Amino acid sequence: MKFTLFSALLILATAASISSCEKSASKDDLSLSERSRPVIATVNYPLAYFAERLSGEFADILYEVPPDTDPAYWNPTDDEVRAIQAADLVLLNGAGYAKWTSTRTIPYEATVITSSSFEGSLIMQQEGTSHTHKSGTTSHTHSGFASTTWLDLELACKQASSTADALREQFPENEEAISGRLEILLTEMRDLDRQMKSVTATLRSTPLVVSHPVYHYWTRAYGLSAHALHWEPMQELGTLEMSELAASQNEQSQLKYFIWEAPPSEENINKIRMAGFINIVVNPCGGRPTKGDFLSVMRNNISSISEAVRQGSSAKTGTP
Amino acid sequence: MQISGIAYLSWKALRHRPYRSLLLIGTIALTLYFPRALQEFISRSEEVLSARAKSTPLLIGPRGSSIDLTLNALYFTPQELPTLDYSSYQSLARRNLGTTIPIHSRFRSGISPIVGTSLEYFKLRTLSINIGQSMTRLGDCVIGARLAESKNLKPGDTIISSPENIFDLAGVYPLRMRITGILTPNRTPDDHAIFVDVKTTWIIEGLAHGHQELSQSEVMGSPRNSEEGIVRANASVVEFNEVTEANLGDFHFHGDYENYPLSSVILAPSDEKHRALALASYEDPANPNQVVIPVQAVEHLAETLFATQRLALVAFSLLGIAALALAMMVFLLSFRLREREMHTYAKIGATRIAILCLQGAEVAIVAIAATAISQIGVTLTRSAAPELLTRLIS
Repeated sequence: MKFTLFSALLILATAASISSCEKSASKDDLSLSERSRPVIATVNYPLAYFAERLSGEFADILYEVPPDTDPAYWNPTDDEVRAIQAADLVLLNGAGYAKWTSTRTIPYEATVITSSSFEGSLIMQQEGTSHTHKSGTTSHTHSGFASTTWLDLELACKQASSTADALREQFPENEEAISGRLEILLTEMRDLDRQMKSVTATLRSTPLVVSHPVYHYWTRAYGLSAHALHWEPMQELGTLEMSELAASQNEQSQLKYFIWEAPPSEENINKIRMAGFINIVVNPCGGRPTKGDFLSVMRNNISSISEAVRQGSSAKTGTP
Repeated sequence: MQISGIAYLSWKALRHRPYRSLLLIGTIALTLYFPRALQEFISRSEEVLSARAKSTPLLIGPRGSSIDLTLNALYFTPQELPTLDYSSYQSLARRNLGTTIPIHSRFRSGISPIVGTSLEYFKLRTLSINIGQSMTRLGDCVIGARLAESKNLKPGDTIISSPENIFDLAGVYPLRMRITGILTPNRTPDDHAIFVDVKTTWIIEGLAHGHQELSQSEVMGSPRNSEEGIVRANASVVEFNEVTEANLGDFHFHGDYENYPLSSVILAPSDEKHRALALASYEDPANPNQVVIPVQAVEHLAETLFATQRLALVAFSLLGIAALALAMMVFLLSFRLREREMHTYAKIGATRIAILCLQGAEVAIVAIAATAISQIGVTLTRSAAPELLTRLIS
């Protein structure tokens, strides 16, 4: 009898302690949810950077693209999509960037296309095979827009402004702070735009070869012309690639520049140099850089161009 | 004669002729049930219709019957009106008047409506996922609780869209959709619906599709498929009827997004000022679209229902009077047939009042039983009204 009574008391005590644990856990959850900050999801690093700079401390930025993956070709998992669905604001680049956004379910109401203010000036490009779906119907090719819009720093400023507009609308309590931060960010980016215009001025008459077709807006903004290849900085350049490069050369030009997306291998630097080109690294910075931030990467790009121009002018005048 | 004795004798008399008694109870119960059930059904239907209409502040759709537009958006009835361009939704969303939710409810899977919408719809209707998770890609769907229960469906199962015309062999392929979640029941048409991303309805419509890569050698190599540098995607090219992780990237949209169809757009204005602005912007008769206040459309519908109800009540009342007269005649005939029995009661000492009480008790037992049965029927009708209404409308 005593044993039964003791057992019953023990069971009651255990149940009571479990119940209190559950209550305290739910209280913790509640306080966590109360503490949690709004979330802003972005499809690429430049937008994540703008959102970080403009939101300051009041929001968390959700940008989960792995560092070794190009955000334009990232394919999120179902769980990653659900995390984006739960975000308070989703910033898209527009111009067909990040194709996953057209095949995944994202919250339309919380979504802002940051390039919509200049959608009329997007660059159209044709891609894929010309085809028809039914006999007798007109053939078509899937066309799309070039999407690395932020390399034109004026367009990047517009995207930052769109980001600020979206933040102000979503979080009106932070309107003043956002406007103040936007002013500072725009000043810095306009300064970089001026520097970029200045360093690229000497390249205007020079044909460029670029390792990937991602420089449409950059070349248009700074009055450049470029022939695009599909090369990776670390790929081995064989005879096929070198003859492709030779075919793209303009023999009339004394100075030739080759633009890489990322620092190439030493071997590739030498091969390109031997082919008569000066190597330049212009990092589009679509993904989060391992060092620095968007503005520092743009500064590095300007430095790389500036250095190449200096090399070019030395070669022209014959000075070492 | 005591009261218990009267009740006992009446009960025995009714049990002695069970079929006659049951027939009388049934007739009187039905006579009482129909008019009250109709009143209850219509009054409950009006409550249900109004509740759903109140949770849908404004509807934007093509010009035409406001009741058709409302019923299509609220009850997913077959689409009678022409479609609304996606550009209309985009321009409305850009005006920041409030929350805008696209609705495209043209297609079905069997009798269940397929509703293309956005995630905001679930917030508007306070719908939550009971089992599973939300949709994440083209071809995903979350389904209503009653549909899941009736077809024994669970997350991970698939459901196929029905072709609009089974004789259209060259028409759109049915799409096999992945069920990712089942909604918590809310006793509305949402319980019977299949919810998909609006882009998925455009796949069903044939505006977007996925097929094997056209540059693949087996396609390009066939002279049937390739001529003058143009690849013809004929029947030999595999078109996907299900979206999977592997072929998701191969799905693409044709034509201009802005011309893609929607049934309507729900607008939940952020405040009174934005509501007034929204209402004013569709005043122009040249505008091909209209704004509808669902509560008003439902009121019009309810007025029609009430008019029909009045007519039906008159008919039921006349029928009821006839049925009650017949029941009374049955009782009177029955008492005449039992005159000898009544004489026997008198001979053994029953007073005339006791005999009248005996006859009255029989009538009362039948009337009470009939009233109780009709009341149960009315209560059941009231509770089943929302379900019944949904089925009747859609």
